[in-house]
Amino acid sequence: MTIHRPLPAGQVGRSVPRLEARRKVTGRAEYVHNLVVPGMLHTKVVRSTVPHGRILSIDTAAAEALEGVYRVVTADDIRTVVPDPWYGPAFHDQPVLAIDKVRHVGEPVVAVLAEDPYVAAEAAQLVVVEYEPMEPVFDEIEAMTSTAVVHEVLKPAGTFPDLKHLVGRRDTNVALDYRLRRGDVDAAFAAADRVFEHEFKTQQVMHTPLEPMVSLAEPGDDALTIHTASQSPSFVRIEIARLLGWPENRVRVKVPYLGGGFGAKLYIKLEALVACLALLTRRPVKWSLTMEEQFYTITKHASTFRIASAVKDGHVTGRRCEVFWNGGAYADIGPRVTQKSGFTAPGPYDIDNVAIDSYALYTNRPPAGALRGFGIPQLVWAYESHTDLIARGLGVDPVAFRRRNILREGRPQATGTVLRDAAIEGVLDDIARRMDWDKPFDRGSGTTQRGRGIAVGFKASIAPTTSVAIVNVAADGSANLYLSTVDMGQGSDTAMAQIVAETLALRTEDVKVVHPDTDVTPYDMATLGSRSTFHAGNAVKLAAEHARDQIEALAKSLGLPPGSNYGPADLFKKKYGMQAGNIIGVGTYIPDYKSPAPETGLSDNVTPFWMVGGTGVEIEVDTETGHVRILRMVNACDVGRPLNPKIVETQISGAALMQLGFTMFENMDLDGGQVTNASLADYKIPGMHDVPDEIESLITEAEQHSGPYGAKGVGESATFGVSPAIANAIHDAVGIRLTALPLSPEAVFRALREAEGNTGTDAK
Amino acid sequence: MRGFELVHPGSLAEAIALLDTDDDRVRPFSGGTALMLMMKTGVFRPSRLVHLGRIGAAHAAIAAGPNGGLRIGAMATLTAVEHSADVIRVAPVIAGAMKRLANVRVRNVACVGGNLAHGDPHMDLPPVLAALGGRVAIAGPQGTREVAVEHLFSGYYETVLGRGELITEVELPSQRGWTSAYLKCTTRSADDWPALGVAVSLRRAGGVIAEARLVVSAATEKLTRLAGAEAALVGAAADGTAFARAADAAVAEVELVEDARGSADYKAQLLRVHLKRALAQAVNDGAVS
Ligand SMILES: Cc1cc2nc3c(=O)[nH]c(=O)nc-3n(C[C@H](O)[C@H](O)[C@H](O)COP(=O)(O)OP(=O)(O)OC[C@H]3O[C@@H](n4cnc5c(N)ncnc54)[C@H](O)[C@@H]3O)c2cc1C
Repeated sequence: MTIHRPLPAGQVGRSVPRLEARRKVTGRAEYVHNLVVPGMLHTKVVRSTVPHGRILSIDTAAAEALEGVYRVVTADDIRTVVPDPWYGPAFHDQPVLAIDKVRHVGEPVVAVLAEDPYVAAEAAQLVVVEYEPMEPVFDEIEAMTSTAVVHEVLKPAGTFPDLKHLVGRRDTNVALDYRLRRGDVDAAFAAADRVFEHEFKTQQVMHTPLEPMVSLAEPGDDALTIHTASQSPSFVRIEIARLLGWPENRVRVKVPYLGGGFGAKLYIKLEALVACLALLTRRPVKWSLTMEEQFYTITKHASTFRIASAVKDGHVTGRRCEVFWNGGAYADIGPRVTQKSGFTAPGPYDIDNVAIDSYALYTNRPPAGALRGFGIPQLVWAYESHTDLIARGLGVDPVAFRRRNILREGRPQATGTVLRDAAIEGVLDDIARRMDWDKPFDRGSGTTQRGRGIAVGFKASIAPTTSVAIVNVAADGSANLYLSTVDMGQGSDTAMAQIVAETLALRTEDVKVVHPDTDVTPYDMATLGSRSTFHAGNAVKLAAEHARDQIEALAKSLGLPPGSNYGPADLFKKKYGMQAGNIIGVGTYIPDYKSPAPETGLSDNVTPFWMVGGTGVEIEVDTETGHVRILRMVNACDVGRPLNPKIVETQISGAALMQLGFTMFENMDLDGGQVTNASLADYKIPGMHDVPDEIESLITEAEQHSGPYGAKGVGESATFGVSPAIANAIHDAVGIRLTALPLSPEAVFRALREAEGNTGTDAK
Repeated sequence: MRGFELVHPGSLAEAIALLDTDDDRVRPFSGGTALMLMMKTGVFRPSRLVHLGRIGAAHAAIAAGPNGGLRIGAMATLTAVEHSADVIRVAPVIAGAMKRLANVRVRNVACVGGNLAHGDPHMDLPPVLAALGGRVAIAGPQGTREVAVEHLFSGYYETVLGRGELITEVELPSQRGWTSAYLKCTTRSADDWPALGVAVSLRRAGGVIAEARLVVSAATEKLTRLAGAEAALVGAAADGTAFARAADAAVAEVELVEDARGSADYKAQLLRVHLKRALAQAVNDGAVS
């Protein structure tokens, strides 16, 4: 549904086909997996077999003796090139290879190098590591108080001022505790007509990019080039330079296309090890993970959310939120998830009295980081299930109850930041209208019961972050865009080219986007958290405007009156006497931001923009087996003005389907910290047959006034409402409430039997 | 995985000779769809693969017999089976099962023999062929023999095939008067391995069920014929009461395996429900003429 008309130049608002589509379907697009460099070695790592243990000995003799093995490397060797080999975006807590102890099954302990990857793999099996097992902790609630401590001392990175108070904290698994206090929560609960209290859980899942992580490092003269499937080339450069103690400009990071990222390929992953190995061997080194290994590299936080609401006269007057994030063995970006997501935990409702405690916890599971939504889907799952339960408890229609309490434009959110350009009500209205919420609904019969549910959520953008862009106009008027935003399939190349084209009055197809190469393309914080359209998009627009201003100035200097129909090519020719020269436009964007106050968690400017997304579903439950079939799914998002409606729609449906997998069946089965289904044969993601019978992607009428041409991010918004909408619909259909994901048929079936007062499965 | 020998025998006898060894890293290779997965995960490290491609054409025929039976060459691809007019006429349940068996790319190369010989209890064809009364023809160093599909499996990923033996053909008895159905139940994604497979075949005469072959797979260690449930049906009218009795008998007689797709208890419920539904569907779809 396209409701916006294109802008004057006809580029923004046009569903330009993906610029790279042809390259991809003809197999010509570049990926690091296909990159082969002369003299290249492959590495395979030996991974920990225990969740928590001291390393007693490492025997590499048999591996070294295998024909074709070039070298076997342990943490001791790594220290000869990087004396302090601990990395991470929020905490410097992750060793390049395990030092003294291991903290999760699958942690890299030893690296084997060979020209033949199969030889490296075989040799890796010959390395013998002896461990003294230590008491592990796996559950996020237990980690709050357990005697098992994953990290003896906390080591926050210096980059984040709000983590400073954690420096040197000992013997705790709490990596970050974020708190927010607003109004008088106790008084609100004391004065309430009704109090509702629930606990919700989510499971650990994985991003499953179809291109597994891969990095290749090439040593040079006092320099290093890293080709990597990364969402954050600028961060990789800075972090590798920090580890090596080098200036940034000696580390070059290049990123071609990605076969999916979803947050898995953020910050620093394989790059630290390949960099060290390349420097140790003076040869190019490539590390390609298998699909299986990704399950031990980065995942999505399992979580527990305790939520309580005070209700008076049909309004939510107070809310207490306690969120526990299972961060696994290494913090990665977990503490940011805890804080940035934490402060929207009460949901998009106008609640005067709020208390939030959000805890990032270390456990002995594989690490968790950012995954499409950055914690928000876990929160919306809880607060929208809870909100539905309140409405049902009060006997009020769930949509009417939401409308009554919803956070409206101009009202302060829990942090105190006033809501601007956030179409929360618009999204809710679009879904309700599209689903004919006010009309009678066929509830099914016999063993097929039907129900419907709705949920909306919102998210603050990560802040403050910087993007820089360069637009280079050539002498014939064509333009290159230099940008470190990574196109991992979300269509950013096309959208960014549209912004340049709109500003310079070119055809989008005539703008060439130069892919991230830190020797060439300027700084960008990272492609994450739906920030690029807004941040990089603003930088691109500024760069294009800068170029346009210079073109206009050139025209003026040549004595041409404003509005004369000389094109850039004519201007260059007139100026230089031939086709020569360039005009370089530069744009840097960083939004205003105010960090939350440490004691209260409050800030009147906590985000540059809000993302809003919601989902409505109609479902059918087979009451004999618990199977849930989704007959219809309506997703609506506030994306500001859509730069490219077609890409926006596919981002909406793609995000919703990804979250559908996390809702219905995806689950990392863990046994003693070991993932027992770490393969695509056993870890199931949605396929074509799992797509709802009908699925719609709605772009809610909106404008982000501070965004480039009114746009904002969209990659995650459609994940928000999916899980609670389905659970709410199941409740509507058969009267049972599930509080833990995934909503498996067996879980539905058991709840049905329990509701009938029969806990066995023998009932007919 | 490192190097291995890949051989292409030109005759069945040559293939058998190449397979006739003590080395358990020597195996036949038909479509390779199952073998390659095992090789990639390191579960199987071959020393020699005996590729059956060159003898495939001689063992890929699909033909209806004169009296309502059917023969399917072991090297017939699943796609060939899916689209065979003879299969659709004699045993439509097989063609129907193909629609949700893997995907077009797998079906285009995977062969009937490989599907049976792999011994994976989650496969779809074995229960269907067993319920249809199928028998496999086996050729080996000691000559040829026949085994009923229901007796082909000796355990989880285990078959009764001996050293050097190859499946050459599947033979179905006459299907005239029989009516069949296969239900596959997944509990995670739609294309997951089944939590349960149920295949049923019934022959009715004089208003009652005269014969029944009922098979459960996926939820059990190996595919299992449900003798108790069959006994509950034979002689009874094909109605809900009989089906419910059969379902109870089935749950009572098999040992169900718990795994990530469901607990044993839950699979008992799935078996109960799906056996009743499969029986109803078989009756509704009508008998093959
Ligand atoms: C993505 C995917 C999805 C799948 N989904 C399904 C599904 O939904 N349902 C389903 O039933 N199956 C499914 N399968 C499994 C597939 O059906 C089997 O892999 C296939 O049938 C095996 O046949 P093949 O010819 O490829 O066997 P191969 O891989 O060549 O061989 C399999 C085994 O049989 C042996 N073998 C092969 N031919 C013979 C013979 N003639 N005699 C004796 N031994 C032999 C081999 O040595 C090996 O041990 C799926 C597979 C994949 C890859």
